[in-house]
Amino acid sequence: MSDNRFEFVKMEESASEHLSAPRYSYWASVFRKFFSSKVVITMLVISAVIMLFSFIHPLFSHYDPTSQGNINDKTMSFIKPCLEYPFGTDRTGRNMFDAVWASCGNSLSIALIATGVTTTLGVIVGAFWGFSKKLDKIMIEVYNVVANIPFTLVVMVLVYVMGAGKWQLIFALSCTSWLSTAYFIRVQVMIIRDREYNLASKCLGTKTSTIITRNIMPYLTSIIVTSIARDVPNFISYEVFLSFIGIGLDVTEPSLGRMVSDYVQYMQAPSASYLFWIPVILCAMISVSLYIVGQALADATDPRTHMI
Amino acid sequence: MSTNNEKEVLLSVRHLEVTFYNNKKRFRAVKNANFDIYKGETFALVGESGSGKTTIGRSIIRLNHTSDGEILYKGKKINGKLSKAEQRDVIRNIQMIFQDPAASLNERATIDYCVSEGLYNFHLYENEEDRERKVDDVLNAVGLLPEHKSRYPHEFSGGQRQRIGIARAMVMEPEFIIADEPISALDVSIRAQVLNLMNKFKKERGLTYMFIAHDLSVVRYFSDRIAVIHKGRIVEIAPTDELFNYPLHPYTLSLLQAVPMPDPQIEKAKELVIYDESKRDLSGEKPILQEIRPGHFVFANDREMAEYREKLKEMIAFKKEHPTND
Repeated sequence: MSDNRFEFVKMEESASEHLSAPRYSYWASVFRKFFSSKVVITMLVISAVIMLFSFIHPLFSHYDPTSQGNINDKTMSFIKPCLEYPFGTDRTGRNMFDAVWASCGNSLSIALIATGVTTTLGVIVGAFWGFSKKLDKIMIEVYNVVANIPFTLVVMVLVYVMGAGKWQLIFALSCTSWLSTAYFIRVQVMIIRDREYNLASKCLGTKTSTIITRNIMPYLTSIIVTSIARDVPNFISYEVFLSFIGIGLDVTEPSLGRMVSDYVQYMQAPSASYLFWIPVILCAMISVSLYIVGQALADATDPRTHMI
Repeated sequence: MSTNNEKEVLLSVRHLEVTFYNNKKRFRAVKNANFDIYKGETFALVGESGSGKTTIGRSIIRLNHTSDGEILYKGKKINGKLSKAEQRDVIRNIQMIFQDPAASLNERATIDYCVSEGLYNFHLYENEEDRERKVDDVLNAVGLLPEHKSRYPHEFSGGQRQRIGIARAMVMEPEFIIADEPISALDVSIRAQVLNLMNKFKKERGLTYMFIAHDLSVVRYFSDRIAVIHKGRIVEIAPTDELFNYPLHPYTLSLLQAVPMPDPQIEKAKELVIYDESKRDLSGEKPILQEIRPGHFVFANDREMAEYREKLKEMIAFKKEHPTND
């Protein structure tokens, strides 16, 4: 073979710089990871259906827990679940299908609003709390005091003082719970705060508020989602519990807890046990499905799970 | 060895003390440090881990509080309490290259943001186009491609990441750069690449570097003057050739010995001297940093100074008898 059959190939410097890995997108990876589990999809569908019914059905049914129009019509009471009345009727002849969805909607909205308030306040306060040593000195004492008072006690006292009602209950639920979210965030911020890339940002003249939003918060997505996933079912249980012992919501407002407490007497009556079991099962389904969806979302938002 | 007196002093550190407190315990990380850095030179600070070299670097850039002494940048004091405008001035002119490229980049931000961060903070661009052009230029200058802008730091190799770190500092067009062991976390094969890049910027832009390192092997080819630091105290400052030819302080000697020789026969025969302060004769008055030859300072008291003078004479005589090519 002669030399003239070879030719020189020029070396291209930039060729070695080329990245051949597929382009990474954070949110696309989150979605791919989230929808990779069939259980999660099932739970997402269940919670979506429950939410849709809870928020849309009451708009048409205009259910009012105080109206007892059919109380004198004996044929309307204790109708077992059938096509016309999917969840049956109770002693006073109220349509349980309307009652259940109105209650669900009310309980869900309380839990969602309380979670929203708790998370927003907790994350904002927690971020600055973790960054400022001065604020830490004050806040840690406040937290120590408040965390030592049982949450149930705080909520019960507040509801007693302010009276029953939806907004009073939301206030009572989120009044102190944001503090534990803030504490949770504070610890995470303190872990990330002194990492070298934050020092580098400081050397580039980045303001603390920008460091929090651009350098710290993106790392906390998964932690915040975890906290939300824990709070929503928690608040639903609290609302149910408080209404069950009779101090949660007004009689005029439908709620899952009140339904359970009203119909607990039928638990062992074979002809009417559905009155008790339907709200209980629904309550359990909401809690479990939201919890599983939330946990799956929390896992999916953690980039350590994005490895192919 | 030129006379340094004619050169313009860019940064001078006077009686710098940095103290850390852990509950009631006091730890003096830097003890009475004094040195000048001249415009356009590469000044290396060499010492073992925990000797306080990074602390000095971080005090200059205001990441650490100083407990005493002064840091003067172009004659203006830059440590202690400063107004907002003065602080911004310091940040604008002094930049830092970090040791660990894996830890010093924000993993959740694109390269575009990482490099533009300083530009955004000081609004160093006229419009969005100008900013993009600046980012493209600096990425080109460090040998990266503009298409990398939408990528995330974890997709890059260590050397590439360190070059992103350099690009992020260079885009600010600083005058003075503190490089905190910029190559010690890198693979040996790409160390030269990063050093050459830094040298290229030095030549093109007339930069001044303070290069923090823990071994002397790299420093020899990269720096103009070297300061050796041990347990928070600067023990010897000299121009590079002078330090390698006439090391005086025993700690400098042991550091020099620690550099591995590529020749196995020399390496085998080499007797390692481990510096042990407790075995030294520390009698006499307190030592201070004194000039023994023009530009060559050593930490000694009068008794030690006399010994070092003797030693220096011997070494010079020996060099004359056995001239080597280095």
